[in-house]
Amino acid sequence: MTEPRQQSAKEFNEAEAIERAKHGDAHAFQALYDKHKRRVYSLCLRMTANTAEAEDLAQEAFLQLYRKIATFRGESAFSTWLHRLSVNVVLMHLRKKSLPVVSLEETTQSTEDESPKKDFGAKDVMLAGSIDRMHLRRAVDSLPPGYKMIFVLHDVEGYEHNEIAKIVGCSIGNSKSQLHKARMKLRDLLKADRAVKAGRSKAG
Amino acid sequence: MNCVELQHSLAEVEDASTAEQRAHLRTCPSCAALVKELNLIASAAGDLREADEPSPRVWNNIEATLREEGLIRPAPRHIPSSFGARWGTFGWLVPAAAMLLLSFGIYLHQQSTKPTNIIARQAPTYAPNVATADLNDEELLQEIADNSPAMKTQFEENLRQVNESIRDTQGWVRESPNDAEARHSLMDAYQQKSMLFEMAMDHTLP
Ligand SMILES: [Zn+2]
Repeated sequence: MTEPRQQSAKEFNEAEAIERAKHGDAHAFQALYDKHKRRVYSLCLRMTANTAEAEDLAQEAFLQLYRKIATFRGESAFSTWLHRLSVNVVLMHLRKKSLPVVSLEETTQSTEDESPKKDFGAKDVMLAGSIDRMHLRRAVDSLPPGYKMIFVLHDVEGYEHNEIAKIVGCSIGNSKSQLHKARMKLRDLLKADRAVKAGRSKAG
Repeated sequence: MNCVELQHSLAEVEDASTAEQRAHLRTCPSCAALVKELNLIASAAGDLREADEPSPRVWNNIEATLREEGLIRPAPRHIPSSFGARWGTFGWLVPAAAMLLLSFGIYLHQQSTKPTNIIARQAPTYAPNVATADLNDEELLQEIADNSPAMKTQFEENLRQVNESIRDTQGWVRESPNDAEARHSLMDAYQQKSMLFEMAMDHTLP
């Protein structure tokens, strides 16, 4: 209670904002929203590839969180809490739409599509340097839902396989295998993208 | 280990760190390139974490729902943020101000253990007049005017705001004497006032 208002008004103090939100302060709710909106919304958008759906889900995630904010005691980070909750909201949504959260394939089975020989006619194209964000975004959008979920949770959001297994309800091996397949698929998609671009610039 | 085996093994050990994997990668440029590309994809993925911005519609809906559900409450008037910002430059005064706060804290604690007393005593006598007992607002302003005239207007305005805020929260505490939030807000207001006095006293020192 003796914590003074030392920081300038510009500097965002999350703990204070949380306390104020508990007291019903509209500005505090908005400040917390502004700080986390991009991450929550981007997560929802990656998973759904649909802006309207993603906005509805982001809204739902924040509302669920705000309704429980009085119970927040700060034993885990606020952002961890929020992102875990957002993932749950998205998962619930996907399940309602009966989209496979994890691919039903056997983890050991390699389909022709994923066989190492398959090359999409982009054999010579190498992914080097940096990957353009727009291209990666488009490639992730076109991943099958099962691959996408694991890829977004692991490589975008930074969850570990054991956490993903718990969140999604699959085995750790399944999570690892899906991630590998997702990356392989993305590599194909990005290479195909580059091959098309290279072809175009040669032609033009 | 051949190429197919290596690719399958990457699902289990993605960083290709086992002895077998490394042995194959040393002799196979195409698998080495594959591993490099997969790592590139994994590291680029982090860029998508905060890549997109939701439309303003999202916050508007959230705010409307919070108001509807009573989670956003009309709070007692807050001290404007510019007031808070000015505190920032006087952060080094905090330890002294904390001493003053201690006396407020003790007072509030005594009060909160006997809420019926608050109701019985009613309005004007409720305020813990630590500040006004030791130092009258007017006297303080006079001191500032004498020793630091440039600061007087600002202190006057700050005092007005903080007193207003105290009045508001006192009203709230009076309405709901057992409301912890109300007392918390009142503490906040006193905290601001104690810091204001502390700041002022410092400016009036020779
Ligand atoms: Zn090889």
